[in-house]
Amino acid sequence: MEDADLLMARVAERDVAAFEAVYDRYYRLVYGIAFKLLADEAAAEDVTQAVFLKIWSAPRAFGGGMFSAWIARVARNRALDVVRSRKAHEAGELPADLPLEGTVDDTVFARLDSQRVRTALAELPDEQRDPIELGFFSGITHEEIARRTGTPLGTVKTRIRTGLRRLRSALEASAV
Amino acid sequence: MNGHDEALLDLVAVYALGALPERDARSVEAHLATCSVCRRELSELRAAVDAVALSAEATADEIGGQRSERLKARVMSAVRAPQLGANVVSLERARGRAPNRYLPYLAMAAALALLFVGLFDAFGLRAQAGRDRDRIAMLEAKADMQERSSNEARAQLALTESRVADLLAPNAQRFPLSGGLVARANNRIVIAVQHLAQPPKGKVYQAWTLRKGAKNMTPSVTFVPDTSGLALIELPDAAANLVAVAVSIEPEGGSKAPTSKPTFVRSLS
Repeated sequence: MEDADLLMARVAERDVAAFEAVYDRYYRLVYGIAFKLLADEAAAEDVTQAVFLKIWSAPRAFGGGMFSAWIARVARNRALDVVRSRKAHEAGELPADLPLEGTVDDTVFARLDSQRVRTALAELPDEQRDPIELGFFSGITHEEIARRTGTPLGTVKTRIRTGLRRLRSALEASAV
Repeated sequence: MNGHDEALLDLVAVYALGALPERDARSVEAHLATCSVCRRELSELRAAVDAVALSAEATADEIGGQRSERLKARVMSAVRAPQLGANVVSLERARGRAPNRYLPYLAMAAALALLFVGLFDAFGLRAQAGRDRDRIAMLEAKADMQERSSNEARAQLALTESRVADLLAPNAQRFPLSGGLVARANNRIVIAVQHLAQPPKGKVYQAWTLRKGAKNMTPSVTFVPDTSGLALIELPDAAANLVAVAVSIEPEGGSKAPTSKPTFVRSLS
């Protein structure tokens, strides 16, 4: 069980010290995602506050699994709400709790640090990294990515998948 | 969608990234429910997408020490005093300490705010306000002596004052309720209600917000009134796009969707 699971169990019991520990550990991730999407420090602060107050007010919304991945999705979705309020668009949210299956050893990803991911992302070809970062951090659809980059839609989809697979392989290799 | 061709798996990748339009996302989800190959693909790519998210983690230097401190103070003060009184009392109880000595003052400050916006009976109002002011002054002096070092209490006080200020703000829009009001000021929503019954054991009150154009209410903060039945809460949601707020009784920890008839629903128009 990830330490965060234990902390969140204590948060559900209204343990402020546990909440503070969760905050200290994850606020840079939440703020960083919000700032990437919003490019606005004050708005990123608001999103960070809203995400952590949601965690405090509804701790059982976290249903287990990798907490860092869950809180990242919550942060992205919250920041996307702000993006949407600024300009209507229809990019999909990331389901925070989607049942998945598979035999892949995802403990590899539980041990990742942001620097290692940045390095792996930087090593992707631009044509794969750009649509992945645009899709995730701009909250735009693959159709908009195709339009902005002047790339056929089918090519954008293939590059996203190829890039994600390559990123996964690179991270697994670097974890060995 | 009934196959496992490359184009379909490409679409699953875009879905994993969260970059599909809603209509296509729903279609992919319907297919995922019946296709184990695509579910496995999603599982593998989701881990890579999670890693992309991790790449955005800011360093302490990027955020800045001053901003970090301010942000943490905002969050922790809201957590320590999500509404006036009872949650704070329960926290103190959980820690085995006596209830904070600021609480009576805070309760009265909130009560005075309600007085000022004309929700209390006019008879006896002046006398009550005078007594309250005297008691506040006494408690302030006592608190100043006894609790000078209590950052937590000061944070609660600042938060309450901020909420009271919103209630009284000249530019505030006020929407009366039975026994209270909802105020919208400075892009914040403050709800003040008196004579609120304590929720049953294991239950709390939960606020809900309805955004413009939304069909469903969004869960917001949970709270319980103080021992006098007073609740003064600020919603973490930005007020600009909200068209209604509601409160219902929910299990501790809150619900994702209301499970009981609302205590009240208030349109913000």
